[in-house]
Parts: sequence; structure tokens; C-alpha cells
Amino acid sequence: MEASFSQTIWIVPLYALIGAILAIPWSPGIIRRTGPRPSGYLNTLMTFAALVHSIFALRETWQQPAKYLSFQWLHAADLNIAFDVEISSVTVGALVLITGLNLAAQIYAIGYMEMDWGWARFFSLLALFEAGMSTLVLCNSLFFSYVVLEILTLGTYLLIGLWFNQSLVVTGARDAFLTKRVGDLILLMGVVALLPLAGTWNYSELADWARTTDIDPTVATLLCLALIAGPLGKCAQFPLHLWLDEAMEGPMPGTILRNTIVVSTGAWVLIKLQPVLALSSFATNFMMVVGATTAIGAGLIAIAQIDIKRSLSYSVSAYMGLVFIAVATQQDITALKLLFTYAIAMSLLVMSVGGVVLNTITQDLTQYGGLWSRRPISGISYLVGAASLVAFPPLGCFWTLTEMADNLWQTHPWLVAVLVIVNGLTAFSLTREFVMIFGGSEKPMTVRSPEGLWALVLPMTFGMGFALHVPILLQRWNLLPSWSQLNSTVVLSLIASTLIGASASAFIYLNDKIAKPIVLQPKAVQDFFAYDLYTAQLYRVTIVLVVGLVSRLISWCDRYLVDGVINFVGLATVFSGESLKYNVSGQSQFYFLSIVLGVILFIGILCFPLIPQLSF
Amino acid sequence: MQLEYFLLLGAALFCIGIYGLVTSRNAVRVLMSIELMLNAVNINLMGFSNFLDAGEIKGQIFTVFVITVAAAEAAVGLAIVLAIYRNRDTIDMEQFNLLKW
Repeated sequence: MEASFSQTIWIVPLYALIGAILAIPWSPGIIRRTGPRPSGYLNTLMTFAALVHSIFALRETWQQPAKYLSFQWLHAADLNIAFDVEISSVTVGALVLITGLNLAAQIYAIGYMEMDWGWARFFSLLALFEAGMSTLVLCNSLFFSYVVLEILTLGTYLLIGLWFNQSLVVTGARDAFLTKRVGDLILLMGVVALLPLAGTWNYSELADWARTTDIDPTVATLLCLALIAGPLGKCAQFPLHLWLDEAMEGPMPGTILRNTIVVSTGAWVLIKLQPVLALSSFATNFMMVVGATTAIGAGLIAIAQIDIKRSLSYSVSAYMGLVFIAVATQQDITALKLLFTYAIAMSLLVMSVGGVVLNTITQDLTQYGGLWSRRPISGISYLVGAASLVAFPPLGCFWTLTEMADNLWQTHPWLVAVLVIVNGLTAFSLTREFVMIFGGSEKPMTVRSPEGLWALVLPMTFGMGFALHVPILLQRWNLLPSWSQLNSTVVLSLIASTLIGASASAFIYLNDKIAKPIVLQPKAVQDFFAYDLYTAQLYRVTIVLVVGLVSRLISWCDRYLVDGVINFVGLATVFSGESLKYNVSGQSQFYFLSIVLGVILFIGILCFPLIPQLSF
Repeated sequence: MQLEYFLLLGAALFCIGIYGLVTSRNAVRVLMSIELMLNAVNINLMGFSNFLDAGEIKGQIFTVFVITVAAAEAAVGLAIVLAIYRNRDTIDMEQFNLLKW
């Protein structure tokens, strides 16, 4: 009875799966009369059950050593694939975070999807995500992590494509699926290549193997690059980041999940693989460069957006870049903590913005203004979320960012600069968004914008409360870096970058003397970032073009060469039949002639060998 | 006298027959060409029986048979020509190309 909740922790994904299946009957085509709402309530209940289960399990696993379960999945010849489960405070804590955020998103969706008939499909997919993510954090095997990542890719495709009668949704879902799929497929190469090298897919055994192995550096580099490629696509890092921008076409509650935890699934796998990735210094440098480039690039792009959802989505890419940097520099604990604080803050931001969008319709930042007096709760939630996301003491991300910067200070000082810059850029972009939405004077679109219904406000305020308690929780759990050891230069520069970014942004956007919309000189730079470095065009002229041309070429070869050869045989037969029939001329004398010629030919063939023997 | 001359005569006559068979437009002339060919065969048979089989002269027996059969065949051939003539009012071989492709 002692540890009954933690022993049965593997049930947590099943709650959500059951919810996903139970929601289906309320599809409009099955239960035709009573509307789709029970599917949402049911799933919320299941998520709540999962959350309660996880919280009890967390109490049991707290300060306990990790336990491992293993289920046999497949045994064929000498291949054993086992579904390993790790029950530790980290995995169960992640479960609590996942189910908690899911619960918030589902309650939020009950308010947000009020005017929508597609609850069954929507809540089924949310539950599928919850199940997938819970499985991902529980399973201790790279192979099953990959399986879940693929299922989540499919889930992303379906969830973004919820309102599939909009053309942008269809293209966005397509890009999200293909981009993430490419990363996953390369990850599969790495996963498959890892088995003969390490002989196991279990993360703990992989870590042991990585500590002792001495494999060829080239092999290690290629392997690590393949393993990075999956999370690279999942976490929307350069250059596989366009999908997250287009995924903003999906419904807002889905966005909460996507921005906070779905993109973190890739980071989770990356963190778990950190011992293996440490085998190759090239791969870690690559991760550092990708993370730093994405963080700064996406930070700049976020500032140039005028769509409020897209502006946030680039901040997501930027923070995932920071996680990449953390993993590249062997700070997996810090990376996990950063994911935790980031997820809380980002969920708060998305929920606040979502409520604003729901009652104001437009997503165009330039159409917003002056909402502070009428939407104080959304505004405060946004502020708390923004302050938790950047280094703003004493809230969440301040601690993780300082810890990370402090660790980097000794080894990679230039990454501290990256961190400071990204923090400043994010502060600038978040403040810009806040000021444009809530500050200034009201615009035609925002003249009447009431605060949202309880179902929108409740999870938001709950989240805000949680975000405010994060520092206390961190302190209680002894997860805070100790003040005495912190490098004050690092801390001060982070805080300074926050203040400079935020105040510069507030100065620019609250100042009536500066003409709005702001045009940067030269305009090309502004457009360059506003159009996301022209990534869509870049894809179109590189990979899409090449694949398109090659597939057209192959299709042409099939149609004309392969088909053509076979068709030629048929055509030749038809043609010969059609032409040889003219031998039947209808003239009996022609027949006589051919008989005679035939006989002569026959005799000629018979006598041919005799010709040399003739003598005259 | 030598066998070769008979055979050459027979062959020449046979070839003339073939030429007539293939080129004649008149159906009766075609029958006549066939008769020429049969007679060329007969000359061959007679030559062979004389020079190679003077004792038993089986070739001459063959010749008698060939003459009889040729007579019957010519009779039937003329009957066919007559039957065609009744229907189509002509015996021009060029007009008889109905059964083509």
C-alpha cells in the first residue's frame, strides 16, 4: 500500500487514452442530437484524475531513488524490445506538469470552443497528446520515445488541421507534419544505428555505455547529428522552424499545449540523450550554434511580427534554442528546470493572449490598443507570464537563466552573451506585445472588448498563481542556485538586459512622438525579420524545388520510359498485325506465287550445304 | 541422249507454267498454265523412268495416273470457272480479290 500510486503510474497515460476514445461518440455524425459538450467534460475529468494520480505519485517518489519497470513488448530471434518505465521524481514531476497544463488547457477550451461543434475531435486529440506526452516522459527507452514522437507528429497534423476548411490551416498542417517528420526520420536513422553500437535503447544503459565506450569519432559525430535532428525539428529550431509559425493557424487551446509542452517533447529526448551526445564535440558545438542562432534569430523575428500568436511562437523557438545550448553544455538538470519554468510562463502568456483574441477577433497587433482598463486580469496574467519568462527576479525563469548563465560563464563566455541578448530581445518583444495590446489608446477593433468567461479566466488566474509560487516551490525543493556562489556580473547583466529591453520597448511603443506603425530604416531589414528570414521562399527554392523536380522527373521516366517500353511491345504487335494482314491480298495468283516462293526457299535451304560439292 | 536434257526441258516448261500461272488474268489461261506444269512433271517422270528405271518403268505408271488426275482436275477447274462466271459475269482474275484482309 506504501507506494501504490507510484507503482501504478503507468496508468496515467491510459486515463487520457480512455478519454480520447470516450470522446469520439460525440462526433456530430454519431450522436446527432445532444451536442458535443460531454466529450469535453469527460476529458477534463480524465485529465483531472490523471493529475491527482500523478500528484500522489509525486509525493511518494519525492526524495526516493528512481524505480524501474519493464514490460516485454516484442521478442523476435535475438532482438528484445522492452517497454521500460522510469519512476522518479523527475518523470513524475513532468507528469504533473503535463497533466496540470492539460487540465488548464482543457478548461480553457471549454470556454474557448464555446461556439464550435468539433469538441469530440478536438478533445480526443488533446487527450491523445496528453497520453503521448505522459508516455514519453515515463518511458525510459529511446525506441519508445521515438514511437511516441511519431504518434505526436501525427497528432500535431490532425490538431492543427482541426478547421480544415481554411486553406491556410491545410498548408500549415502539411508543413508541420512534413517538417517534423523529416527530423523524426533522421532521428530514426540514429536510433537504428545506436542499437548495434550500444546494444540497448534504455536511456540509463545508454548513459553507462556512453561513459565507457571508445567508438570512432566520425561514427559518434554522425550518430549524434542524427539524434539531434529529431529534436531539432520537434523544437522548431533553425532551419526547421517554419512549421511552428504556420501551426499558429490551429485553435488556441491547442496552441497552449503546443507552445508549452509539445515542443518540449523534443527537448526532453535531447536531455535524456545528453550523455550520448556528449560523445562528439562536433555535435555539441553544432547544437550550441543551432541553439544560439535560433535563439537570437527567433528573438529578432518575434519583435518584427504583427500577429500576436506568431510573435509568441518565435519566442518559443528562442527558448527552445536556450534549451539546446543548455544540453550542449551538459547542463541537463538546468535544462529540465528551464523547461519547467518556461512552460508555466509560456502557458500563461498564450492563455492571456488567447482570451484577448477570442473577444477582440483580430490577431493583428496594430489593431490593438488600450485594453488595460477593461481587461485587467488578462493584462496582469500577461505581465506575470512575461516577467516569469525573462530574467525578472524573483520569478521563475530568472533562476534558471541565471543558473545556466553562471554555469556557462566559466566554459563558454560567448554563450552568456547570447543568453543576455536573447533575454533582452524577448523582454523587448513581450513588452512590445503587451504595450500594443494593453497600452496606448483604443482602436476601432478594441473599443468593446470584455473580459473572458470564467472558463477562460479560471485556468489563467490559476496559472498566474502557480507562476507566482514557482520561486517558493523552487526554494522548498532546494532547486535554487545558492546566492553566494552566483557570479554577480552574470546576474546583473541578465537583469540589466531585461530592464533595457523592456524599457526600450515601452519607451518606443508608449511614446506618441514616434509614428506608429514603426518603420525601421532600412525597410528591407524589417521585412527580412517580419517575413521570418524569407524561410518559406527559402524552402521553396531549395528542398521543395529539388524534391519537386526529382519527383516530376521520376514520374516522367515512369510514364514515358518504363511504361513506354511495355506499351511499345503492344503497339509493335498491333502494328505488325495491322500491316501483315495485307499479305492476304485476295489474289489467288499471289497465293500461288507465295507457295512457289516458299517451296523454292525451302529447297534452297535444304540444298544450301550441297552447293560447295557441285563440280562442273 | 541424256537425262539432263529431259530434266531441263521439264524444268523450263514448269517455269513457263509458273510464269503463266502467276501472271495470267484469264482464269482459263491459269488452268492452261497448270496443265503445262503437270505436263512438265510428266516429262520428268518419263525421263526418270527411261534412264533410271528402264526395267520396271514405274515412272510411266505415275505419268498415266498424273494424266488422269490432271484431266479430272481440269474438268473440276473449268466447272469452278464456269460457276464464278455465272455469278460475276467475268473470268478476270483481277476481279476475284474479294477475300482479302
